[in-house]
Amino acid sequence: MSGYEWLIGLAALVFAPLLGGFLRGIDRKLTARMQGRIGPPIWQQFYDFFKLIGKARAVTTKGSLMWVWGYLLLTMLAVYMLFAQRDLLIIFFILAFAGACLIFGAFSVRSPYSHIGAHREIMQMLSYEPILLLAAVAIFLQTGTFKVSGIFEHDGPLLLTLPLVFVAVLIALTIKLRKSPFDISASEHAHQELVRGVYTEYSGRFLALIELTHWYELVLILAFVALFWAQPLWIGVLLALGVYFLELLVDNIEARLQWSWMLSISWAAGIGFILVNIILIELVFGNVLRL
Amino acid sequence: MAGETLIAILILLPLATAAVGLAVKDDKLRRPFIILPSMALIAASVLLLFRVLDHGTITFTPSGTWDPIILILELALLAYFLYLGVIRKHVLVLGLAGFQLALFCLLKFAWLPSGFKAQPALHVDLLAVVMCLVISVVGSLIVMYGLNYMQNHERHLGLTATRQHIFFFFLVGFLGAMNGLVFANSLLWLFFFWEITTLCCYHLIRHDLTDEAEQNAMRALWMNLVGGVAVVGGMALTYQASGTLSMMELTGFGTVGPVLLLPLALFCLAGFTKAAQVPFQSWLLGAMVAPTPVSALLHSSTMVKAGVYLVLRLAPAYQDTYLSAVLAIFGAFVFMVTSLLAISQPVSKRVLAYSTISSLGLIICLAGINSGLAVAAAVALIIFHAVTKGVLFLVVGIVEQDIHSRNIEDMEGLTARLPVISGLAIAGMIVMLFVPFGVLFAKWAGIQAAATPFSEFYPLVVVFLAVGSAAGMVFWVRWIGRLISNVTTADGPPAEVRREPRASVPYLVVFSLVGGAVVLSVLAAPLVSWLINPAIAAMGYSPALDTAGWYLTTPFGSFSPWALFIVVALALLLPALLVKARPEEVMPVYLCGVNQPAEGPTFRSIADTPAAVETGGMYWTQAFGERSLNTWVNGAGIVLLAALFLGVIM
Repeated sequence: MSGYEWLIGLAALVFAPLLGGFLRGIDRKLTARMQGRIGPPIWQQFYDFFKLIGKARAVTTKGSLMWVWGYLLLTMLAVYMLFAQRDLLIIFFILAFAGACLIFGAFSVRSPYSHIGAHREIMQMLSYEPILLLAAVAIFLQTGTFKVSGIFEHDGPLLLTLPLVFVAVLIALTIKLRKSPFDISASEHAHQELVRGVYTEYSGRFLALIELTHWYELVLILAFVALFWAQPLWIGVLLALGVYFLELLVDNIEARLQWSWMLSISWAAGIGFILVNIILIELVFGNVLRL
Repeated sequence: MAGETLIAILILLPLATAAVGLAVKDDKLRRPFIILPSMALIAASVLLLFRVLDHGTITFTPSGTWDPIILILELALLAYFLYLGVIRKHVLVLGLAGFQLALFCLLKFAWLPSGFKAQPALHVDLLAVVMCLVISVVGSLIVMYGLNYMQNHERHLGLTATRQHIFFFFLVGFLGAMNGLVFANSLLWLFFFWEITTLCCYHLIRHDLTDEAEQNAMRALWMNLVGGVAVVGGMALTYQASGTLSMMELTGFGTVGPVLLLPLALFCLAGFTKAAQVPFQSWLLGAMVAPTPVSALLHSSTMVKAGVYLVLRLAPAYQDTYLSAVLAIFGAFVFMVTSLLAISQPVSKRVLAYSTISSLGLIICLAGINSGLAVAAAVALIIFHAVTKGVLFLVVGIVEQDIHSRNIEDMEGLTARLPVISGLAIAGMIVMLFVPFGVLFAKWAGIQAAATPFSEFYPLVVVFLAVGSAAGMVFWVRWIGRLISNVTTADGPPAEVRREPRASVPYLVVFSLVGGAVVLSVLAAPLVSWLINPAIAAMGYSPALDTAGWYLTTPFGSFSPWALFIVVALALLLPALLVKARPEEVMPVYLCGVNQPAEGPTFRSIADTPAAVETGGMYWTQAFGERSLNTWVNGAGIVLLAALFLGVIM
């Protein structure tokens, strides 16, 4: 890992949407099977994407179009930085900025539905943001650095010393992946509905851009999960795919929660687990910074 | 110019300007009397910066009989507080002022030998210069902004006789007192300037002389008198224990003996009262009754910054002690709870006030973590917070005079009505909130510093920081959302676009502060290597930030502010410039009923009745409201303070 990180980052920018779209296709297929339907073809996401691109534009306000681009480009920046093995804290801050752009897009049009969605999206950020930051801190206690490259230089998989952090991260990622029981800001993907919170006022190519951003986000999230077993990385990839399947399963057996439940679950369980794990590190596993 | 002269100018020029301005009652005549000295003050602070960078710390005792003069003024000031307690029949003020006066007289006349002087009286190192820049540059800009604001303010109130000369007397004098405070090495001098800031703050808050203003001013007074008593008590104990009243001797030799921890804790308590930390936050929230330039000055460059300055200045003395560990927890706790409380606030100035208290909590937390990285982050946060908070208050002031409301709900769609000023507001909030801007750089370094196991309680501190940082996102993002909410119709924006006086002094001030915040953020790496690293080195810390290639690199992570800035700017500005909506593409929003654009933003609702479209912000008052949280917050704050003092005493 020397000198070519930027190349990996750029490659990720090219291949992430393909992988993300493909995984979404699997998502739709599996979800359909779980619901006893045949489901669309695996490539349906890409067909949808190009169909949306070709639609005539319908604009409610210029502002919301601007922010969508910000959402996409900043998410791409976060993907680049993760694959180029940069600072994990900064990656999460960039991701928060990207998420805020989606919220701003929903706010910039005066529509009650997208405003409610935007407020709920804010609550989602409040729920998962501390968990992500604290997960970065817990990883730091094992690797001695906030850089992703440090995880690859670390001996042994993180999952063995950070099991509870991993569980907390799963809670945060369910929110980030917009899966039930935490899909409160907008019904998402496999639960198609007409009025979809933050996305209500988007159509055509701008909806396609949001879809594209979600593919990037999906890859980013799964890559972060894979970091918990970075050596050998193929176990990490299997881990990420396993987590993805688990998320689909939970998505299909859980009902949507209220925001207050989401907040209490993610804070009490998520932050609580991480705290316990940090104490375990101090008492049992050993804190790399004290050595 | 010699450093000594510059220092004299920086303290005395504002005081002289204030005194002269008292005689000027004409608006037009006042402008040059305020603007020219303000410019001179800015120039002097910049010159002082170069002087100290080139020639190192300046320490000296001014020639002349300053000590008796200061003593007499000091006694007069303390007697005046006592007098205020009597005529306002305020028992707390009376008691505290009396106690303070008695204790001070006891210290001065009974315990200190006659003719005692703490030498040198002044000590100007880079930390003091950073503070001086914040005070002189941001403060002067706010004072200039105040000229237009106060004219409009008095016109709006319909006063027959102007009271602006009194207003500017305290506003400008404040800057001199603050400069004196940060330059003082003698604790006796520091106490004198400390009390002047309390006095100025009291008079500025009560400026409008309404019942509410008087009441809130008294509250600010008694809470700050608690701080004054703590300073006198701290001085007395310091002298008993060490026989010195010199800041340099207190902080210059590493960690102090345990016997000095109690006076240090008292000085920190004084810092908490000035910085409006829990449970003293109510005075700063109440201070918003004052005209906006006052809030801007109190929150950004003066008053509250004096509190965190004192805590940070003393940091080397309490490194690796129990006090330091508790300070970290206390600061992080305040950072978190005040961010959470801000979520429930619909009044813009209250949101800003809570966010100020929260940032100050972070600075105190960083002082408590007390490593090179943490202290560097604290200094950076002092700079960036001053500039951005200045912007936000000034913007709110301009908006308030235009729409006659300070409620965020009334600012819905402000980008359509006042595009320039709301654009500046959004820029200020983005600088406050997002990477790669300066405030976030401080948070980034802060979380890193907190994650190094500096005390057994570090997990708690990290959790507080993470939650507080997420909570900060909520209220800023929602506020920006309210500002940009807007409908474009085929005929263009519906709301009337106001002509804004872009070339007026207030706008120019806001422009320059926003520009300063962005430039300083992009150039954060050179700023660190050129100013912040030397500043903390002068305090005795080893610099932990490396700036090779204009990357900001800590031992644990790194990022490049300028590269990220370019990408972020492209990601946001290019679409803004390139995305166009043709009129024929514009559609009405989805409203679950037939839109009736001819009748304004309405749609056909149940039984075909027309219903108006309304949107509003959510404030989650049940979960985060003051009513549900305040008891717990204040209780926990008092418990933490009690733990601080009990631990220090035992």
